[in-house]
Amino acid sequence: MAKSDDGIRILQGLLVFGNVVIGMCGIALTAECIFFVSDPHGLYPLLEATENDDIYAAAWIGIFVGFALFALSILGIVGVIKSNRTLLLVYIILMLITYAFEMASCITAATHRDFITPNLFLKQMLERYQKTETDNNNDIRMTERVTDTWDKLMLQNQCCGVRGPSDWQEYTSAFRSTHSDADFPWPRNCCVLDARGSPVNLDGCKLGVQGYYNSNGCYDAISGPMNTHAWGVAWFGFAILCWTFCVLLGTMFYWSRIEY
Amino acid sequence: ALLPYVPRVPPVPLLGKLTATTFTLERPRGVFARLANASDTVWLVVALANASDTFRNPLSRDAVPPYEQLPTAHAYMTLETAVAAYACSAPSPAVLRVGGDTACGGHGGRDPCNGPLPSPGPYRVKFLVMGCHGPKAETKWSDPILLRTAGSPSTIDPRPGRRGSDTVVMVALLASLGAALVVAAIGTVGAQVWGSLCCRDSGSGTFTRRSYRTHHIPPALPRTLPPGCRCSPPGLGCFVPQPPTPCPAK
Repeated sequence: MAKSDDGIRILQGLLVFGNVVIGMCGIALTAECIFFVSDPHGLYPLLEATENDDIYAAAWIGIFVGFALFALSILGIVGVIKSNRTLLLVYIILMLITYAFEMASCITAATHRDFITPNLFLKQMLERYQKTETDNNNDIRMTERVTDTWDKLMLQNQCCGVRGPSDWQEYTSAFRSTHSDADFPWPRNCCVLDARGSPVNLDGCKLGVQGYYNSNGCYDAISGPMNTHAWGVAWFGFAILCWTFCVLLGTMFYWSRIEY
Repeated sequence: ALLPYVPRVPPVPLLGKLTATTFTLERPRGVFARLANASDTVWLVVALANASDTFRNPLSRDAVPPYEQLPTAHAYMTLETAVAAYACSAPSPAVLRVGGDTACGGHGGRDPCNGPLPSPGPYRVKFLVMGCHGPKAETKWSDPILLRTAGSPSTIDPRPGRRGSDTVVMVALLASLGAALVVAAIGTVGAQVWGSLCCRDSGSGTFTRRSYRTHHIPPALPRTLPPGCRCSPPGLGCFVPQPPTPCPAK
């Protein structure tokens, strides 16, 4: 009997510890997802225009799941310490629901990260950057945001195009239809600009002389933060789910052993 | 006079040396010094590659085919420059950009216009030195220069090639964990329901939650429990350390 007491107490201790970890991870998940949703790099308009912004939906789910995990972990600790069957049953059911939501978030983030390819942004950039004929208000707004995002991106990261300035030469684009190829082989923001925002050497920029134009592509600047975002949500959520799986199994075993 | 110089696109890697409507040529340095006076001008003849053989040098400046005649004459002359600009010591950029002036053309004037080229070509060029009385010297024709042709962005396929392998691993693991949890939950609840339906007694592995109070005839002795017989520390439920009999009175 004493051995069984010790066993029960060890199990209780482990479950309390497990729930404490779940609570802390829940808070961390909420904080991480709030950080991603706040879009510190200003890349959300690019994703929104691709109509494939599900990694943001996954982050939003992550915010609420994290908070739910924190609340449920407190419930779990109370239920385990009091050995209350009802509390633990409520805990298990709500945890299973939260588990399902977090699974959805992880899988969404992981699978939609695979859609982030250079061609996706290349096509969008060529079709939307500085586009003037638009169909409806929503389109106008989206086009403006894409244009602003690209201008800011090229300025801050000293880059041009997705793979390089040659993107503007290899394909026709909405930009090309309003800006002549002779004057604008690539947009002005691809040139090295001085403090007032005008090119240091315009002819050098048009010719492609090193030092007067940005020769590298912006894809690293776009995909880096997005990959961090997607993998952060997906893998951290996956780790939490693995841990929660063990704690839930332990709780179910503990619950089955309580007798009224 | 025929100069042995062959105009060419500069071999240095410049991304903008060939675009859809412009191209760049190496600036000839010191090529015309021997033959030309200070009053001569050097023109650039641009002709479609298949029309270069039929091109005849204009006999005077008035007969120079302008930029606007390119579609009909298949050739034009532009970049009228003083010979001194091509001297060895002239401080000027190392390349000439053909087609870089978008402001000229279409005015009907006779000024040489360095307008953008309307088609990808291919083009051949040569330099022609014109004096007061007509052409004085020329270089050889260049090799055909083909301009860029841009493709349509609708040919770009944005779909990813294949699913990343770590995505597949994660999805598979998550699905199996979720399924295992659901099975465990159903199993636990099912076992409880089955246990309460068929077996009424508590198993040896279960622990009781409250103290086990006897319901039979209470003993005549006072019911004060000695210190040895009491509930375990609070929060743990009351576990029975002994068989359920009242404590013997001392």
